[in-house]
Amino acid sequence: MARLLVEKRIDWVGIGFAAVLSIIIVFPLLVVFTWSVTNVWRYPSVIPQEFGLRFWGATLARADVWSSITMSLTLATVVTLLSALICLPAAYAFARLDFPGRSILFFSFLAGHAFPKFGLLVAIAAIFLQLNLIGTFWGVVLIQLVGTLLFMIWIPVAAFQSVDRRMEEAARDVGASPARVFWSITLPQAGPTIAAAVLLSFVGTFYETEGAWLIGAPQIRTMPVLMISFINNQPVIQYGAVLSVLLWIPSFVALLFARRVISSGSFARGFGA
Amino acid sequence: MSLTPASDIVGKKPGRGLSGLLLVAIPVFLVCWMVIWPILSAIWRTVWIRNDGGTGSSFSLETYVFFFSDQYSLNNLYVTLWTTAVCAALLLVICIPIALYLRFSTGKLAAYVQGLAIFPMFVPSIILSYALIRVLGPNGTVDLLLNAVNLPKIRSPYLTPWGPVIGLVWDNIPLTVLILVSGLGSVSNQSIEAARDVGAGRLATFWYIILPRISNSILVAISFTVLGLFSAFTLPYVLGPAAPEMMGPFMQRTFRDLNDPVMAITQAVIAFGFCIVFGLFYVRSVAKNRAP
Repeated sequence: MARLLVEKRIDWVGIGFAAVLSIIIVFPLLVVFTWSVTNVWRYPSVIPQEFGLRFWGATLARADVWSSITMSLTLATVVTLLSALICLPAAYAFARLDFPGRSILFFSFLAGHAFPKFGLLVAIAAIFLQLNLIGTFWGVVLIQLVGTLLFMIWIPVAAFQSVDRRMEEAARDVGASPARVFWSITLPQAGPTIAAAVLLSFVGTFYETEGAWLIGAPQIRTMPVLMISFINNQPVIQYGAVLSVLLWIPSFVALLFARRVISSGSFARGFGA
Repeated sequence: MSLTPASDIVGKKPGRGLSGLLLVAIPVFLVCWMVIWPILSAIWRTVWIRNDGGTGSSFSLETYVFFFSDQYSLNNLYVTLWTTAVCAALLLVICIPIALYLRFSTGKLAAYVQGLAIFPMFVPSIILSYALIRVLGPNGTVDLLLNAVNLPKIRSPYLTPWGPVIGLVWDNIPLTVLILVSGLGSVSNQSIEAARDVGAGRLATFWYIILPRISNSILVAISFTVLGLFSAFTLPYVLGPAAPEMMGPFMQRTFRDLNDPVMAITQAVIAFGFCIVFGLFYVRSVAKNRAP
């Protein structure tokens, strides 16, 4: 096999994969983008009759679009902050302290991933129904918070564990207080990985559709939930196309940051491969 | 990425055990309250049914009996099983060749293929649904192109059981490829060269050398797919037919529109039952990778 690789020859297999994947992966998204910059596109013309940004103005003038953008950003921010507040100290404890049940509690965060997700959401919703949390902001916050726990604990635990202990001990030896060591030595080293976890949980929460739809609808309307109603009830195609492009922005940001992390392979190992 | 043995990392100071427990208390409480308790409560509420008069409760399997004797519910279950099986098979057929190519190739083209294969991870499924409707839906782009060359329109998969299949496969390509590539990392070049040296063809090398070494990764990929697909909601809800519907939309409709939470959690418990083996296997293999 290695011998074959060294030979200089045209990589037909690679070209085939690249071509097929380009069509299957990229083409549908290009179509949506084209629709978003189209004023008029009537069947059966292959390209739009009139390009233009008319529908960007029309979409951004809609009150339901703005309220859903505000709702999505507020929810994702609140959930991410709460998640960081409760998970990061816990991650530090899992990485550095010994306490009874440490292992089993660490793996307990997998429990939510051992069940089909929507079934679990329905089971939670049945409990929220008795607590009158259906259709409330905090009900959606709670359900999305649970979805962030695994990443916000497991990734930072790995980050804290990779911090060089000798540097911390050296700082202690010259008289730094534990808080000072944490602030000046531990946090700067663990910081980038923790920031990646925070970004991941923000983006994941931003796109969380199923919990928001099951628990929040119709009072709590996030961007993905609004998108569902556009697909079901909105005859003007461009509104959905413009909203799709707007909706994609956080994912694009995540894409720029996360590409390297994901290609490295440690990501897949986190999924048990 | 593993939990180091506690003995290496802590000085034996009294009181540290308590502060550790306090620091992890809130997330652990959330898992107990929002994962373990709902599941136990769901099972409890569906077998311990309140009597008609509201006077008391007694053991009863009536909601399960209803589900398994109701043709509509059974059809929904069948379409879910069918979709899951078809998607898992398609994903393996599509992703194993891609993963093999990525494992044995280097260079810009391979990087491009990998980038494309991972890209759907950064496309939220709701945008994907919309894109697929625009492309494959009635008078969509495929119809436009076919019409332009005077061919008949396609029979659109939109609102048929194939709609969710296409969407779910598209959506799950990245993780399946990543899991398989990671598994192929454990196949050494030497073992393949040795097989080739004794005259094994490509197929034989794949069948006897590569496949046995990645069978665990394939099982993980299948478990992941089954867990994700069995109760998928967004894609089947938007792309699939109104009847029969997959378990995800079915549960949602039973819960919200029919206002019948007990029946909805019965459906959820049935979904848990069908996935339990895959869930346990998945958790076991993740835990094995992270364990000290």
